[in-house]
Amino acid sequence: MSTSPDPSSDRLAALLRDKRVIVLCGAGGVGKTTTSAALALAAADRGRRVLVLTVDPARRLAEALGIPPHADAPTRVPEELLRKAGVRPGGALDAWMLDPRIVFENLVKKLAPPEKAKAILDTRLYRHLTELVAGMQEYTAAEALHTFAENQAYDLIVLDTPPSRNALDFLDAPGRLSRFLDEGIVQMFLPREGGGLLRRAGRLVSSVFVRMFGETFVQELQIFLGAFSGMFSAIRAHTEGVRALLGSDQAAFLLVSSPETAALHEAHFFRTQIEGRALPFKGFVLNRSHARAATLPHPSELTHDAEVSQASLDKLKPLADRERSQAIADAQVLDELRSRAGAHGLAVAAPHLGDAVEDLSGLHQLAQGLLPERPSV
Amino acid sequence: MSSLSTDMLGPRMQELLSARFVIVTGKGGTGKTTLAAALAQVAASLGKRVLLAEVGPEPEARSPLRAALGEEGQAGSIEPVPAGPNLWTVLLTPEAGHRAFLRDVLPLGFLADRAMKAEPLRRFLSAAPAFAELGILYRGLQLVRAEQKKHVPLYDLVVLDAPATGHALAFASLPQVLLRIIPGGPIGRAAREGIALLHDPKHTRAVVTTLPESLPVTEALELAKGLAQSNLTVHGVVANLVPHDPFTPAERSALSNWTRTLPMLGARTLQRLERARAALARLEAAVGSVLMVPERETRGRELVSAIAHDLAQAR
Repeated sequence: MSTSPDPSSDRLAALLRDKRVIVLCGAGGVGKTTTSAALALAAADRGRRVLVLTVDPARRLAEALGIPPHADAPTRVPEELLRKAGVRPGGALDAWMLDPRIVFENLVKKLAPPEKAKAILDTRLYRHLTELVAGMQEYTAAEALHTFAENQAYDLIVLDTPPSRNALDFLDAPGRLSRFLDEGIVQMFLPREGGGLLRRAGRLVSSVFVRMFGETFVQELQIFLGAFSGMFSAIRAHTEGVRALLGSDQAAFLLVSSPETAALHEAHFFRTQIEGRALPFKGFVLNRSHARAATLPHPSELTHDAEVSQASLDKLKPLADRERSQAIADAQVLDELRSRAGAHGLAVAAPHLGDAVEDLSGLHQLAQGLLPERPSV
Repeated sequence: MSSLSTDMLGPRMQELLSARFVIVTGKGGTGKTTLAAALAQVAASLGKRVLLAEVGPEPEARSPLRAALGEEGQAGSIEPVPAGPNLWTVLLTPEAGHRAFLRDVLPLGFLADRAMKAEPLRRFLSAAPAFAELGILYRGLQLVRAEQKKHVPLYDLVVLDAPATGHALAFASLPQVLLRIIPGGPIGRAAREGIALLHDPKHTRAVVTTLPESLPVTEALELAKGLAQSNLTVHGVVANLVPHDPFTPAERSALSNWTRTLPMLGARTLQRLERARAALARLEAAVGSVLMVPERETRGRELVSAIAHDLAQAR
């Protein structure tokens, strides 16, 4: 590990120390979930009570953290596991793999009076709604964030986002789901005094709906939405509350990328999304790169024992040459990210720890590679 | 790539390319786009009319699919555009699907266009959960079923570069779930027709992409299982970016011992080769034969052509 100070590392450490929410965005396949867990672990190592919320996780990550993959609430990562991995006492780490079905059900139970909650949860529509919704993941994150930001059980929440481009849609007031439930649209479906379906909508739209969906479905939708009607302002308030928190100086957005062109394009796309919504973008984490390898010695410069044949060295040489030019190219990518991050932003390259981090020690190693040396206690 | 005849391909590739709809799916970063483009190119070289499709909410500044075909910086196109001999590309959007559905369902075409202009309907369609996905599926099936004249399809084959996995399983099971909620009317009918096409192995096949690494292999196996459970035929698994291993076992062992004691350039590649061997062995044990696409230095259209060549040679 380098002993010279790296402003980016220091800034990352400051975020872990000071912020209430850190959100990680980026393309699929770049290691967002692993990075989220590693940063959360590092914050716990520094004495904070941390919650990491993940979506689309590998079962292996749940195993590494020692938590069940399908819990209906956050689970505490066992102390013994933390100590064994080298994490200092004083902090705490909880993790929750978000399941849209459960988050939504918790929401319904929280906001609707019991009879209405039952009515909603009983509709055929509801039972299948969360299956239908590939896009539910995005909304789920917002709702979970709202719950925990409110209750002060955690000093820091680290939020992993789904790899889709819609990942930040939940931040649009009033938000994708709450737009669906928006009273304007819903009013079209609710029975009006004096009866009659779809009174408010124009003739054309109403005939389209009934023709598209059939009477049965529209009736089902009416029950569902009727029961839901009490929840709208609460849902909108939640979305707005989350938006306010994420736009404040208590939050930080980090972009995770790899050196691949496609991933970098996605990173810049997300950055536009983040800054377009006036959210606090703080910098980049570059994964899966060789950026830190540029200073390694070349095998031809080293002595070797007799076991290593010249033939094998000759085969190794081009591989080493290639690693060196990749390292140089990746270091350039890192430099470019640094300048794009701006004077107060950060860009760090994660140490390359094989294809995936297997366990808590691996996560801890990853975190140590991203951050400056811990001050000794 | 010059023209090919079908009998020059291996039997598995022949079988795959005789389908009408091939869905290339897998986690982000596993080379779906490149593989989809290469498959399309092989099929086009056989003389088939091929439509290569990607998915998005609306055209954006850069289409990854068109970039793979050498058209860097071009936006995706809502209507199919030519991309080479016998080859077209298209961007499937939810709005195009909703519009197509309404046109099919309403008695007069212009009513559909007027309906799509109605603000409440547009808000509902863009905001309601799952309607975006349904629009995309509908548009895809519309293009698969399009005819140039009676009983002659416009495209012999549609190859879909599917979005990253988070949603792939949801997409696959969508029509069935929809049918449970809306069993009647035109939506029910469309769902039933869609299901029939998606579940017919002669019509639709999925190819799962992965990398020769532990976690991607695990995820690919889970995805393949999930798709099969939704009754989507999984034709096979393709491992992309397979590194070339020049070492004999003895050489590997000696170098491994040496690099373990001393950090140096080349060590990481050795470790990567080792992990690749283990991951591919696990993959083959689970699914039988795996199509392996070697890692290459080239990029862009050259890369797609090189992979198309590999696919044509595959046995």
